[in-house]
Amino acid sequence: MLIKKKICMLGYYGVGKTSLVSQFVNNMFSDKYQTTVGVKIDKKVVQVEGQEVTLMLWDVAGEEDNTPVKISHVKDASGYLLVLDGRRRKTLEAALSIQQRVETEVGKVPFLLLANKNDERADWEVNDADLAELANRKWTVMETSAKTGERVEEAFLTLTADMLKCREKDAEDDD
Amino acid sequence: MTTDREGLENLPALLDLAAFEKTSSGLFRPLGALPGWLKLDDPAQEIDLADRYPLLELFFSECAEVFEAGTPPRMDSDVWEEKDANGSTIYLQASAMKLGRRSLIAIELLPRERYTYQQLYHDFQLAEEEAARLKLVAERATRAKSDFLANMSHEIRTPLNSIIGMADVLSSSPLTPEQQKYVEVFQRNGVGLLNLINDILDLSKVESGKVELESTPFDLSEVILRAQEVVDGRARAKGLELRQHIAPGVPMYLIGDPNRLRQVMINLLGNSIKFTDKGHLEVRVVQDPEDERPGSLRFGVSDTGIGIPEDKLAAVFESFTQADSSTTRKYGGTGLGLTISRQLVELMGGRIWVESEVGKGSTFFFTAKLGVQADQSARTIREGAQVSTGSIDRLADGLRILVADDAEDNRFLILSYLNQAKCSIEIAVNGQEAAEKFRTGGFDVVLMDVEMPVLDGYGAVREIRRYEKEKGIPATPVVALTAHAFADMADKSREAGFTAHLTKPIRKATLLQALGGYSGKSGAAGEAVPARPVETPPPAPSQAQGSTDEFLVRVEQGMEDVVPGYLEKRRKDVETYRQALGSSDFDTLRMLGHKMKGTGTGYGLPVLTEIGDAIERAALKKDTAGATAAVDRLAGYVEKVKLQYAQ
Repeated sequence: MLIKKKICMLGYYGVGKTSLVSQFVNNMFSDKYQTTVGVKIDKKVVQVEGQEVTLMLWDVAGEEDNTPVKISHVKDASGYLLVLDGRRRKTLEAALSIQQRVETEVGKVPFLLLANKNDERADWEVNDADLAELANRKWTVMETSAKTGERVEEAFLTLTADMLKCREKDAEDDD
Repeated sequence: MTTDREGLENLPALLDLAAFEKTSSGLFRPLGALPGWLKLDDPAQEIDLADRYPLLELFFSECAEVFEAGTPPRMDSDVWEEKDANGSTIYLQASAMKLGRRSLIAIELLPRERYTYQQLYHDFQLAEEEAARLKLVAERATRAKSDFLANMSHEIRTPLNSIIGMADVLSSSPLTPEQQKYVEVFQRNGVGLLNLINDILDLSKVESGKVELESTPFDLSEVILRAQEVVDGRARAKGLELRQHIAPGVPMYLIGDPNRLRQVMINLLGNSIKFTDKGHLEVRVVQDPEDERPGSLRFGVSDTGIGIPEDKLAAVFESFTQADSSTTRKYGGTGLGLTISRQLVELMGGRIWVESEVGKGSTFFFTAKLGVQADQSARTIREGAQVSTGSIDRLADGLRILVADDAEDNRFLILSYLNQAKCSIEIAVNGQEAAEKFRTGGFDVVLMDVEMPVLDGYGAVREIRRYEKEKGIPATPVVALTAHAFADMADKSREAGFTAHLTKPIRKATLLQALGGYSGKSGAAGEAVPARPVETPPPAPSQAQGSTDEFLVRVEQGMEDVVPGYLEKRRKDVETYRQALGSSDFDTLRMLGHKMKGTGTGYGLPVLTEIGDAIERAALKKDTAGATAAVDRLAGYVEKVKLQYAQ
């Protein structure tokens, strides 16, 4: 059976959403910042738990102070990656706010929090206590680097596995 | 009906868009010509737009809901990014329209320029954040460096205290001239190391913004005089004259930070002395020609030294930079003094610069914006009198002193300093014991180490203050002894209840002058001792004050018995030198020259040090003519020199 899943990339601008997708899909990284306009959709087929899954990756333009990200993109998504830039504390606050809006407007959707730019760990404003506090909320938190590729594939595959589990559970509930 | 249809077919050609009509199969049929950026294998074939542009899948389901409700007739999708046939990024947006029963979709290519601002805006914002972050990182690094230095300095100062202190004690015990020479090496290098630590600390404090200038009334001429006092010994050893000139109209009674102002002057004067071998040094103060406000002054410290090449003028104020790196080897110094001075001057609202001519000399200028006291006839209080070395032991006479320090070395040092004084001393080895002994009563002053086991100095002084309050007895002076050099440590001690604060290593003179303040012998009673007393070189006999006659030497008190003997030996050496010259025995010449170089100044005869150096150097080069000239000079000097004894 062909499984197609939509994943949204959400977070403040400049946190590395596009770079994470680019690293995951094409194994490529560019140091040059390229802003995302609207939505950019990529596709990647993965094998998770013996199943072939086509991931539709919706890379949504980052949130700005006066331009909140459009939560409706998540409506038909199976999951999302909430991304922050460890060097910028305000991107953590934006991530928290986005997660809350998703839960209010769409409901509970599987997600992972990615603390990106782990290759510049020494300059991080987001500290271990912050991340521990998120882990306390039972969030899955991963420190990633789109630049080096650290934990990038793992993040997408972990979310996919979570989404599949969620789907099975929904199917059971439907029965 | 055909015309209606034809009109729609022509629409895409007019606008840069692709238009489609939904067919009964649910697929889309292109209307008219398709634009170049949309390549279809077969333009006549119906296509699944939602499959080609996944964003449209969600859009179509939203449209269906909206159109079901009947309004509005048109809806726009989000913008999305695509790659065109050449792989370039393009931005597209779809519009859905309902015309009667017909469902139309137009996909429009948006002009790239519309989004250039977003890229620029994000680039700008991110660059600004990056700059702020880098600034923070730099500040954090400076703070870490400064904390590290403060801790290091504490670790270095504590043992250095014992080394310099014991060298002072040793120096005043009976020694052979040879031993005296070795002790002088300890003293000189110990003080040199201490000055270096102080400079580095000072610089780190200024750089990390920890220096706050005081705002107290002071007397300008006194500040200049006291700066000159500090360098006086060095100037006289080189035969340099110190002058000062304050222009008429310059207010004498000012408000500002006299210690920091003096520090700048000492740095500039010390620097000038280092690079000047003959002539004079002058401190000139005038109204700042570029600022007419009263209290805006321009200071100039000029010398008749070697000067600085023009291309090196700017670099002299940089850390660890001297005009030439060989300068450090020849003249010594850390290269930090001018950097610190620049920072301090900037804190005083001024600037510092240098004008110089190679071979003629340099003038270091700086400006400062100072306050002016209302009453120019007022005299400011002198910060503690200078006391001659002979009477220094008398300063603590009659005092009952409680000494609290856990380190035996430090206790021994203090006891050694006080062994000539007629005072009584009680010892405590921790804060608890100090507080208990204090309650037995009868102490005039307490010297208390800050860091002690059981109960530290802060705890002990609080205990003492509490006890005094309870008993209604007046506060006894308690002096903190600490190896911490930062000014905030002085504040901390004051807050805890300490009367004053002495920073280790503590010199004998500093300790006794501080105690003198409490025995009423120096008029400094009750005043806090500055957190970082200005270090003075170990006392040494010198040429008679005010005299430029190098043959007239004033013998310091306590040296009367040894100087004549020393001089007599040098007279006898002349014959040995001559014999060595005759037999070209450069080894003996070098050894004798070297010894005299090391001892002359210690006996108040800097000329002998100079001649010894010349002999040693000539002998090393096997320069018979040079050595002969130096020995001739020695012979002439020892014949003509006259010793003058203090009354």
